[in-house]
Amino acid sequence: MTSVVGSHTATTEASVEVGIRAAVRRRRIGVWAARLATLVIVIGGWQLLASAKIVDKFFWGQPSGIVSQLSDWVRHGTTFGSIWLQIWITLKEAVLGFLVGVVAGVTAGVLLGQFRFLSDVLSPYIKVANAIPRIVLGSLFTVALGLGIAAKVSLAAVLVFFVVFFNAFQGVREVDRNLLNNARVLGASRGAITRHVVIPSALTWIIASLHVAFGLAIIGAIVGEFLGAQRGLGLVIANAQNNFNPDGVFAAMFIIAVMALTAEGLIGLLERRLLSWRPPSPTEAVSA
Amino acid sequence: MAQIELTGTSKRFVTPSGTLFTALRDVDLVIGPGTFCAVVGPTGCGKSTTLTMVAGLDRPSAGTVRVGGRPVEGITPGISFMFQTDALLPWKTVLGNVALGPVFRGVAKKDARAAAKQWVRRVGLAGFEDHHPHQLSGGMRKRVSLAAALINEPSILLMDEPFGALDVQTKAIMSNELLALWEQTRPSVMFVTHDLEEAIALADQVVVMTAGPGTVKAVYDIDLPRPRGAVQEIRFEPRFLELHHQIWASLRDEVEAAYARTAQGAQP
Repeated sequence: MTSVVGSHTATTEASVEVGIRAAVRRRRIGVWAARLATLVIVIGGWQLLASAKIVDKFFWGQPSGIVSQLSDWVRHGTTFGSIWLQIWITLKEAVLGFLVGVVAGVTAGVLLGQFRFLSDVLSPYIKVANAIPRIVLGSLFTVALGLGIAAKVSLAAVLVFFVVFFNAFQGVREVDRNLLNNARVLGASRGAITRHVVIPSALTWIIASLHVAFGLAIIGAIVGEFLGAQRGLGLVIANAQNNFNPDGVFAAMFIIAVMALTAEGLIGLLERRLLSWRPPSPTEAVSA
Repeated sequence: MAQIELTGTSKRFVTPSGTLFTALRDVDLVIGPGTFCAVVGPTGCGKSTTLTMVAGLDRPSAGTVRVGGRPVEGITPGISFMFQTDALLPWKTVLGNVALGPVFRGVAKKDARAAAKQWVRRVGLAGFEDHHPHQLSGGMRKRVSLAAALINEPSILLMDEPFGALDVQTKAIMSNELLALWEQTRPSVMFVTHDLEEAIALADQVVVMTAGPGTVKAVYDIDLPRPRGAVQEIRFEPRFLELHHQIWASLRDEVEAAYARTAQGAQP
């Protein structure tokens, strides 16, 4: 469009603008149509293959079965009480585990990030702890803490802790030395530096880890319930498995996905609020 | 206002490969109270290291650094530092950044913000109080840094190529503003720069340092009258040209020596 200069009238410019807007709109409609088509093909294909007995619904379930399972749970509840109670229990375990893990992870990360000696001493042990498949700790927690909520919260917290810890640690290490020196020269105490410089700077890293961390908290809660529980979605899944009810497994999976997506949305809101000072990234500017 | 005194000051570092590197060797330098001192020298001659030692961010390996008669231990009180790159906190607004100095010194938040507001106006940024640093131009960010450095009313102002990254016109404007602000409170200034013209236009005293390991080669008194007026014009005055000629003759050898060394180092 380099030929559109000066002498051309404003109307050309306006018509170009209208054209660009229309192109953007067409593209957006196209993307949504394709998304919808993908959903219809996958779900419809599954249903068709199951009705045609190409896919055995005894093992793999079918979409209509999942829907009726969900409505059955809503209307009559599960074996262990109302479905809302199961959701509430699992959500409570995941959220508590998430909070404990995040607070502990950020605290440890900020401390070790600032005290070089401490981190040099502890780094081999942290590496070892990170290499262990921590999900196995669930067995210990179930034995030690019983069938109640504490074992699940602990497992979720342990999973969350390491992800958040490593990000917080790295974030603290990456703080611009100039900013630190400047604050020191301006007379900031150690605490003031942590509060005004280190934590805000590491926040970008920490928040990035929260997206992954909440997923891990849900995994911790569900696996904890698999291992032994009296209530919760994990128990519902385990029960469906024992009764050869694949629709039940999928239905519970669907509920968990909705939970995870809601949490993801909330974390996204938090991110935008806490990091509002950041310049908009080029990709955000394009999609706006 | 305080006197800065370096006596036999040396600084050595251990490089990552384990060898000992001497950045500064036997620096003897006195900067009187209220003096504007510019330090020029080739790249890598330890100019910035000198500043960090005066600030107390770093310790000399040998010799002493005294400020106001007292040896430097920990962060030197009454000091402000303007770094080469912006040291503004990107998550704080202009006002929040300028208010940092008083806040760190325990001034009540309300008073700190009121003082900051005044300084923001003084550096010509009224109306930009609520902007974040990324929304400002390079020159405007320097103004914020300047306000943040001066709000504590330092007796010593250390500047490490503060205007190095600015374009020529903006640099001239900032230099004029710096002089105007400096003449109001007259802190002692140590101003590190590559730019000899800038050094002569601003300073009372120009220190030429040798190619690394850096030491003081010569000190020139700049007897141009104050107030200096626009830095863009002073450079045409005969006395300015004379001084420039004289100091450049001394500086040139060092620049060439430093360049020869890096060119040699670049060869396989």
